[in-house]
Amino acid sequence: MAKNKDKVCVGAIAGAFGVSGEVRLKSFCAEPEAVADYGPLSSEDGGRTFTLKITRPIKNGFAARVEGIRKKEAADALRGTRLYADRSALPDLPDDEYYHADLIGLTVLDTGGAELGRVKAVLNHGASDLLEVAVKGQKEPALLPFTMEAVPTVDVKAGRIIADPPEGVFDRADDA
Amino acid sequence: MSRSVWKGPFVDSYVLKKAEKTRESGRNEVIKIWSRRSTILPQFVGLTFGVYNGRKHIPVNVSEDMIGQKFGEYSPTRTYYGHAADKKAKRK
Repeated sequence: MAKNKDKVCVGAIAGAFGVSGEVRLKSFCAEPEAVADYGPLSSEDGGRTFTLKITRPIKNGFAARVEGIRKKEAADALRGTRLYADRSALPDLPDDEYYHADLIGLTVLDTGGAELGRVKAVLNHGASDLLEVAVKGQKEPALLPFTMEAVPTVDVKAGRIIADPPEGVFDRADDA
Repeated sequence: MSRSVWKGPFVDSYVLKKAEKTRESGRNEVIKIWSRRSTILPQFVGLTFGVYNGRKHIPVNVSEDMIGQKFGEYSPTRTYYGHAADKKAKRK
């Protein structure tokens, strides 16, 4: 993920595909085809922009044409390039739905205002979403259920989450 | 071959006891269990179990559509983070 919160990494170029200048595109999106829907994508430093057109699905990704790339050598030179979309290009979400990219990095406070940690990742193993919280002074991260009861307040603009965790969530792993 | 119906669903007895105790106390806590093989029963709906994955307890909020599955299905033993990209999380 980009350190800059205004940009979101949505894919990467894995090299050339074929000999006609197409690239092999890896998508990191929830719906893989959506990678080309976020307008021109840029490199991490924003120095280059890429206009993509997906031509067909292939094994482990898509074959795509990048505007201005017509030769295999030029396509190969892009290998490893991560593609970033502007955060503003992502559609707005209804209430109580958040992009993982927005949640990651938020400070987790308890109902008394004491800092518990920072959101490191958002996981979903089939039940409800879980926030992986890196807790200060603790090696193992804590897993906080992303529910109304456990997380009554999410303030993305202020960069914080108020948590009312169930007992046992912020226990040390060795206390089990 | 599937399990005989006359036997009923399998649940480790300590899981039932712990769930019953927590429901009676009304406390908001994660019920730590090691039994990944136990079936999720209707009386577990609304409770949060911490299902052991060999390293740590993964919180699992039990909902109605999970009835009949095993706890282990919701507590993967391998971690893959992937990329955040445009993935969404919904607060339930």
